[in-house]
Amino acid sequence: MMEVTLLEDQYAIEMLGITKIFPGIIANDDITLQLKKGEIHALLGENGAGKSTLMSVLFGLYQPEKGVIRKDGKEVKIQNPNDANDLGIGMVHQHFKLVECFSVLDNIILGVEPTKNGFLQKKEAREKIMELSEKYGLKVNPDALIEDITVGMQQRTEILKMLYRDNEILIFDEPTAVLTPQEIDELMQIMRNLSKEGKSILFISHKLNEIMAVADRCSVLRKGKYIGTVDVANTTKEELSRMMVGRNVEFAVHKEDKTPGDVILHVENLSVASKIHKNDAVKNVSFEVRSGEIVCIAGIDGNGQTELVYGLTGIEPLKAGTILYKGKDITHASIRERSIDGISHIPEDRHKHGLVLDYSLEDNMILQRYFEPEFTSKGGTLKRANIRSYANRLIEQYDVRSGQGAVTKARSMSGGNQQKAIIARELDKKPDLLIAVQPTRGLDVGAIEYIHKQLVAQRDAGHAVLLVSLELDEVMTVPDRILVMYEGEIVGELDPKTTTAEELGLYMSGAKNNMHAQAGKEETV
Amino acid sequence: MTLLLQYTLIYASVLILVALGGCFSEHSGVINLGLEGIMVMGAMGGALAMKYLTGAPSVVIILATIAASALVGLVYSLLLAVACINFKADQTIIGTALNMLGTAAATVIIKAINTSANPDDVSSVVQYIDAKKSFIVSFGRFDFNWFMLVTLLLLIAAYILLYKTRFGLRLMACGEHPQAADSVGINVYKMRYAGVMISGVLGGLGGIVYITAGVSEWKFENGVVGFGFLALAVMIFGQWKPTRIALAALLFGLFRALSNVYSGIGILSMLNIPSTVYNMLPYMISLLVLALTSKNSRAPKAEGIPYDKGAR
Amino acid sequence: MNKESILKKPAVQALLSSLACIVLGLFAGFIVLTFIDARGAASALFDIIRNFFRYPSAPVALKYFGNTIVKTAPLLMCSLSILFAYKVGLFNIGVAGQYAFGTGLALFAALHWQLPWIVCILLACVGASLLGAISGFLKSYCNVNEVISGIMLNWLSLYTTNMMLTVVKETTSPYTKNIVNVNHSALLPNIGLDKLFNNNQYVTVAIPLAIVLSILVWFVLEKTKFGYELKATGFNKHAAKYCGMKEKRNTILTLIIAGALAGLGAAMFYLTGYEQWQCTQSSVPGMGFNGIAAAFLGGLHPIGAIFSSLFIQHITEGGAYVDKTLYCSQISDLISSIIIYLCGFVLFMKLALNKWLAKRDEAGSSKDAAGTGKGGRS
Repeated sequence: MMEVTLLEDQYAIEMLGITKIFPGIIANDDITLQLKKGEIHALLGENGAGKSTLMSVLFGLYQPEKGVIRKDGKEVKIQNPNDANDLGIGMVHQHFKLVECFSVLDNIILGVEPTKNGFLQKKEAREKIMELSEKYGLKVNPDALIEDITVGMQQRTEILKMLYRDNEILIFDEPTAVLTPQEIDELMQIMRNLSKEGKSILFISHKLNEIMAVADRCSVLRKGKYIGTVDVANTTKEELSRMMVGRNVEFAVHKEDKTPGDVILHVENLSVASKIHKNDAVKNVSFEVRSGEIVCIAGIDGNGQTELVYGLTGIEPLKAGTILYKGKDITHASIRERSIDGISHIPEDRHKHGLVLDYSLEDNMILQRYFEPEFTSKGGTLKRANIRSYANRLIEQYDVRSGQGAVTKARSMSGGNQQKAIIARELDKKPDLLIAVQPTRGLDVGAIEYIHKQLVAQRDAGHAVLLVSLELDEVMTVPDRILVMYEGEIVGELDPKTTTAEELGLYMSGAKNNMHAQAGKEETV
Repeated sequence: MTLLLQYTLIYASVLILVALGGCFSEHSGVINLGLEGIMVMGAMGGALAMKYLTGAPSVVIILATIAASALVGLVYSLLLAVACINFKADQTIIGTALNMLGTAAATVIIKAINTSANPDDVSSVVQYIDAKKSFIVSFGRFDFNWFMLVTLLLLIAAYILLYKTRFGLRLMACGEHPQAADSVGINVYKMRYAGVMISGVLGGLGGIVYITAGVSEWKFENGVVGFGFLALAVMIFGQWKPTRIALAALLFGLFRALSNVYSGIGILSMLNIPSTVYNMLPYMISLLVLALTSKNSRAPKAEGIPYDKGAR
Repeated sequence: MNKESILKKPAVQALLSSLACIVLGLFAGFIVLTFIDARGAASALFDIIRNFFRYPSAPVALKYFGNTIVKTAPLLMCSLSILFAYKVGLFNIGVAGQYAFGTGLALFAALHWQLPWIVCILLACVGASLLGAISGFLKSYCNVNEVISGIMLNWLSLYTTNMMLTVVKETTSPYTKNIVNVNHSALLPNIGLDKLFNNNQYVTVAIPLAIVLSILVWFVLEKTKFGYELKATGFNKHAAKYCGMKEKRNTILTLIIAGALAGLGAAMFYLTGYEQWQCTQSSVPGMGFNGIAAAFLGGLHPIGAIFSSLFIQHITEGGAYVDKTLYCSQISDLISSIIIYLCGFVLFMKLALNKWLAKRDEAGSSKDAAGTGKGGRS
């Protein structure tokens, strides 16, 4: 970072004064981003700060209203992804752009296929891929199908896609969200290797630790505005977070010590079949959740957490095992019966499961209780007046903001308020067991703080909370107990007060397992 | 028995062509429920070519008929492409509309032609007895139809196109994950147009093969009696793969052929089953087959979902 | 906020887009007519639109208006069947077969078993809903697309109906016997309505019944718990399942109801004795498919369907009046299929309209642009 004396074209890419306006919102307001050659440059900002829009502008997916883009000091016009590719810009998207039923090789060559008379020449491609994977230490099997390989492998495929195109400017969009701490370390190493080979890297993230660990410089966006660029060596985590959020952020979650009470949920030898693979998604899992405690299921995405929750809530049938809830066997109970018994479920995907987006807010508020006498008459008609006043109460109590109040279509609400609506609905049922799956996904810091407070309040009120999370920070701060899932099994039980991120990572990647040792102990509980 | 074989092959040809059409369209991400209408229109184009070329040399008739039906099918399929790709219309409604429109339009056009030739003729029938002979080469009792060869060639071509060329790779990427295709610079709209247009060509061809399969004149008010949908069933049963589609088409073709020739087969004619039952057979079989095989279908993931560049 | 443009009202937008479909559809029809023969195009289109108004004497026109509404009742039932299923996210193209099978059972019961009309209606309902149930079952438990199973069932029911009704056909023609001559008790009661239409004997209780049923469908969809569940399933079946609604049961139940509506429509038409079934029929009656046009043209609203059904039937009847030496009566089928095609663009039209309105609003008050922005678009 010391080469300040270089010439004007020290920048690989420059985005100067970029402004992009969508109807009703200024997504990028006069933003400047300068990426030096061979550096790792972090782009920091919360969800909704305008990072993705800026990158879409760089890729020609959007045309900015104002501003210029320069490559090596020369102004360029980027009309579509092909232009970006021609300029040597490549990107690993947060949600991988891979065709699941294609092989690794086919995915890498897609769009730049070597052909002779229109026929694919895969042999040449294979040689080049093997060469690249050797050079950068990116091990892959070119013939494996994407759907059969791990997320880490898929990410390597994405990186190889860029290298195969001889891209010089590599953009990583939130690349660590799906990785274990160990895989994150590997990725950091790969990024360092790449920058040593002269590639310029733009690293988009909202994770301060990772930026501190790998980036040379960092530019910060907030609410569509450019806040500034700092040398990472001369700054602190606190400074960065202040720039990102605009105020001081508390990293810790406040909660008093509490002794858990009665067993609320008792799961024994639970197995759930997988929809995709022959192996079961959840294998012989046993655990308990007590009143007044938050238990967190940690693990990398796709290790059976989703299916476990489906099994617990009744969305998918169990293959084996029993579930006791407050001492009652609910193994074969329907979704509705479980809900009425006091199990609430904040689903992983609020658009898929949590809301009927084309229904009004009020109709979404009663989704779990529309059949109760308060909302439905004996004749089967809906009591609209009651529904309205109930919805208004929840809106006020949980501070759910929307354009037209109770009659707003859920689709037109912001992600944070949609999530608040779900939380209002699920908590107002006064559940004895709350199952919250990635409740803070995609939300900004304010909303995350709010949701964490609500979870702790549930616990403090003496209810049981089962939290499923992929976010390391959340796993380390919110729960009283951590259960780690790996390939459908619970491989570790950890105490968040005493464990470290590294240890957690070893469990998440299947390298460690403390459950066999504990098996005897569990029996006697 | 040779007759059964002959009819099985010709009906299988129809099903292969149309199912391959559906296959290309769906691999690009557009569900083509309008194949039935495309078949009718293609059949009309081909039938008119045959009608007006009666007496011309066989080669001319064959080539012109193929060209006419393929072209009409292609043009007609553009109605689906424009609506579903550019205007993001509901693919089910548009497909249904095209089916109704196909029969209605063909009827209106043929009737107009018939009436203008002879004011008393208000039928929707086109005759092509003589021209049809150009397609047939008899080997003893077996009537070989050039369409069988055309189908075989197109089947092989379809296989190569899908699995061995750049076009095929890109097409399938658009049906599976259009965002991924877009991100590497593939024009999803163009590829989907290509998929739908290929389905138009193949559907149109299938139409002419169907109406010339068993008879020498066609009443266009009848459409193509659900054959477009049988082809879709064949496509699903064939799991969107050309080779499997061919096998599935042979099976369905056999059941369809039975209704043409059962009276010539000793055992079957002795059973004295009403002909209607044989007519029902293909539909019954396809329902049954669908019920048994749809559970694990591997349909292209993004089919039926309009692609919107802006929404990510 | 108070000065909302009238154009923003969903009902107004639905009405506008339906009218646009009609105008464009008629225009397209006009072009086709011109292509066939430019001389008579304008007058042919006029004939179609005019239908029974061509008769100068009011009583005669009234009688023919009666005929139109006699056929509107089954069309309305078919369109209710379509729209009811569509609200739940199902495309009940099997309506045509359900209608055919309903006809088969109603006529068989009336002509062969000599049963009274009420029983005939019930049988038609039950039989047609059975077909719906098959589609629903296949959809829920075997993942078979209801469109494809519906089409297969259409052909199966056509052939079955043909076979069944051959038993009760006239010996000299392919048509079934006339109920009037065979079983008077199977005729639907007129309840005095025939008098209103210049003694049109075919105007029966079916017409008020169809309207009552439209209102009932609207009530069920909009005002009841059942409708709330069905629409939730239609909008988002995952969310419906998540909150404990029985998605599979609802799918089957919906198609059963849709089938019953279609079967009812069939009985309500054929039990008037207006028309006989042709046992050599080689395609399912167009009533079911026209029902699709009526459903979409009516903005998928049960009350809208009343008017759109009347319109579709009106132009279908009107098609019979075109100059046969120049054009054929299928020209109205052509127009209604073009209208269905155009209905596919309704979503786009509304989107374009809203975009235009938003732009106009923005131009008016560009001040609070950022205030109401959607989140998550980063």
